[in-house]
Amino acid sequence: MSSVPQPRGITMRRSLALVWRTLRSMRTALVLLLLLALASIAGSLVPQAANSPEAVAAMARDHPLRAELYARLGLFDVYGSWWFTLIYTLLLLSLAACLLPRTRALVRNLRTRPQPAREVDGFRHHAAVPVGASPAEAVAAARRLLRRRRFRLSAPDGGAALAADKGLAREAGSLLFHWSFFLLLVGVAWGKGTGFTGFAVIVEGQAWTEAHANYDGNLREGTFFGEDHTGIRIRVRDFEDRYLPDGQPTDFVTRADLLSPDGTLLERVDIRVNQPAEVGGLRVYQYGYGWAPVLEVRRDGQLLAQAPIPFQQDPPPRGVSPLSLPWRGALKLPSLSPQLGVELDLWPDARGLVGLLAGRPIPMTEARDPVLLFRVYRGDLHAERVQRSADLDTRDMRQIAAGALGLGRTVDLETGEEVEPDAPGLTMTFAGLRRYTVLQVSRDRGLGLVLGAAILMLVGLLPALFSSRRRLFLRADPAPGGAVVRVGGFALQHADRFEEEFRRLVEELGRAGGPIRESAGVGAG
Amino acid sequence: MTTIGWSGVSTTAFSIALFAYLAAMLGYFHHLAFRRRAVVLAASAVAWAGLLAHLVSVVARGLAAGRVPWGNMYEYSSLLSLLTVAGYLGYVELRHGLRQVGGFVLMFAVVTMAIAVELLYVGPAPLVPALNSYWLKIHVVAAIVGSSLFALGGVLTILYLVQEARERRAAVAPPPIMGGAVDVEAPPDHAGSPDEPVGGGTGRRGVLPPTAALDRLAYRTIAFAFPIWTFAVIAGAIWAQRAWGRYWGWDPKETWSFVTWTIFAGYLHARSTVGWKGRRAAVLALVGFVSLLVTYYVVNLWIVGLHSYAGV
Repeated sequence: MSSVPQPRGITMRRSLALVWRTLRSMRTALVLLLLLALASIAGSLVPQAANSPEAVAAMARDHPLRAELYARLGLFDVYGSWWFTLIYTLLLLSLAACLLPRTRALVRNLRTRPQPAREVDGFRHHAAVPVGASPAEAVAAARRLLRRRRFRLSAPDGGAALAADKGLAREAGSLLFHWSFFLLLVGVAWGKGTGFTGFAVIVEGQAWTEAHANYDGNLREGTFFGEDHTGIRIRVRDFEDRYLPDGQPTDFVTRADLLSPDGTLLERVDIRVNQPAEVGGLRVYQYGYGWAPVLEVRRDGQLLAQAPIPFQQDPPPRGVSPLSLPWRGALKLPSLSPQLGVELDLWPDARGLVGLLAGRPIPMTEARDPVLLFRVYRGDLHAERVQRSADLDTRDMRQIAAGALGLGRTVDLETGEEVEPDAPGLTMTFAGLRRYTVLQVSRDRGLGLVLGAAILMLVGLLPALFSSRRRLFLRADPAPGGAVVRVGGFALQHADRFEEEFRRLVEELGRAGGPIRESAGVGAG
Repeated sequence: MTTIGWSGVSTTAFSIALFAYLAAMLGYFHHLAFRRRAVVLAASAVAWAGLLAHLVSVVARGLAAGRVPWGNMYEYSSLLSLLTVAGYLGYVELRHGLRQVGGFVLMFAVVTMAIAVELLYVGPAPLVPALNSYWLKIHVVAAIVGSSLFALGGVLTILYLVQEARERRAAVAPPPIMGGAVDVEAPPDHAGSPDEPVGGGTGRRGVLPPTAALDRLAYRTIAFAFPIWTFAVIAGAIWAQRAWGRYWGWDPKETWSFVTWTIFAGYLHARSTVGWKGRRAAVLALVGFVSLLVTYYVVNLWIVGLHSYAGV
């Protein structure tokens, strides 16, 4: 009884095989590559929260509807968004899906020797060369010649046929490139995942300990970070910046001592842009700097508080040099009752203030008769709410005094008038002006892997693009005067280059086989 | 000689080069239309002379500033156009004889240099601290060389697309009614190189090189540029690690150079993909060329990031 053929159904296995085949195809890789490019472009056109938070805030302020839409689509953090992650995960999968079978195929190819062909005249390039040696000798000579040219040869079986190939470096290079790219992506994920990057604000003369709490929130730890900050201490001796007369910077350098957690001096370093310090697996970079006026607060001559306060500067408008703008800071006195807060603007160089008022701003590259403009507020500081240290929340405060304060001078905080240093009442003294440096401290254990993978990518790229797989087939048959060697071959890539190479090889094969011997009898044509 | 002296030499030589390229460009276009061999040879000679003047300009600029002459957009543009013209003269013209392409390459160089001198010029000055590293020599040189080769490939790709469209139209057009056939294989007695097909009576067919030659040359140029660009991106990442503490931060310049890399990687893949060879791959190369221009001009001038320098 004949059986009715069963219809082929959709099985899990068949679906998976289809998905795998699709992932493996070049077309998929093309599409994913272009999608990745498009996604990256999106991230460069929309301000990103990680790189320019002020621009994001500005957009939320000026175009709230658009900002809402962008936020929903994840456009303010493109490179961390789920769809970006999806695209490059798919690309990684596609890469692996393609690489595994091709690597297996290459290993197989490397293990097997080329097989001779029966007919050589059918190949794209073919020629027949008469030589004087016997067929076996001609084949042996050809074998020697081709081995010198670094061809892979078929097994020597004493016969009159030979196969050779060359250029597996192309596939090997391509696989090396793609595997290295894969490794690079893995290295990036691992290094960033187990590492951290943070910013340390250190005033000249102070020391800073590398610990989670000391970054003041300016810290990004990877998802798999293991809470192992080092405890290494950085003591800043001095910060120096140098400029040309027109305000263009020529150098930024932090001179620091690096100390181990127990206080022993590890190293004295100069940290410059382009010249970071490395210690204990950490890298310390020169990132920024600023001014830190030293302020003293006294009540009736008794010192209440004394500290250098790092001042901030907002990003300047386009076309304005930040060197011509003042620095902002705030002094908060929450222990007084009622609480007092002082908003301060620092002009490191008095000429800068004069210049700005006259409409001709000048770059303030050094401290010269620095002046502090201040406004004193009384009320509720809301100090329990975390806010940027340079800002004062004056919603529930009332301004009670304002004025200007030069270096070394003292003012009465309740009247704003300048007074003697030891005057009674609540006074503030501009005791000194120091610099502070902002250092970027980071650890990334994947750096070596990423760099190695990048170099291997380059190494693999060259043969992948410029080498080509070429195959040669050779037969020697007896003929009057010696033998006739028939050669055929083709190149899988760079066909035009192979034409030249084939011609040269044929010439050399002819020469290697020796000149034709004249036969004693009737000569052949 | 003083800084001002060398700077004067540099700007004078720059102007000489610019006008030489302009004159040579006109000569090449004249040759496209009227096929006068004397004109194209003269144009080639003038282009070589312009290249020499351009080289003098770049070297003098370096002497004026006391550093390598690629520290701002004006200098990059100058070096980029120099390398593109050199690539054309040395490779496309000398080795392959495709003189029809000359006018277009020189047009790219002239436009780049005109933009540089009109909009981007700054006097020679020392580098800002962030740029003062030997990585500048390595990363930026690789980027400029890669860019110039991509630009050359871009010009060739545009010409390929034009010629391919023309050949497609000619293939469907009715055959011209005329006596005798034009045999493009037989060497004519007046043509210069084997790649110049006979003009004959078929009108505009044969003005540009055949699509196969353009496609092959565009591929070779782009394939040569790709590893150099890869190296430039990697060197940039290494420099970024030393200067900014992270090798990749999705800064707009980093992002767009990666986008350009990805698109050209797509082009190289497309040439091995059935159904994507030929025209579709060329369109990808064109998109890559546009991406290169964005990476160079738009990112530096419009999008603000770590890569923007005071004084451009």
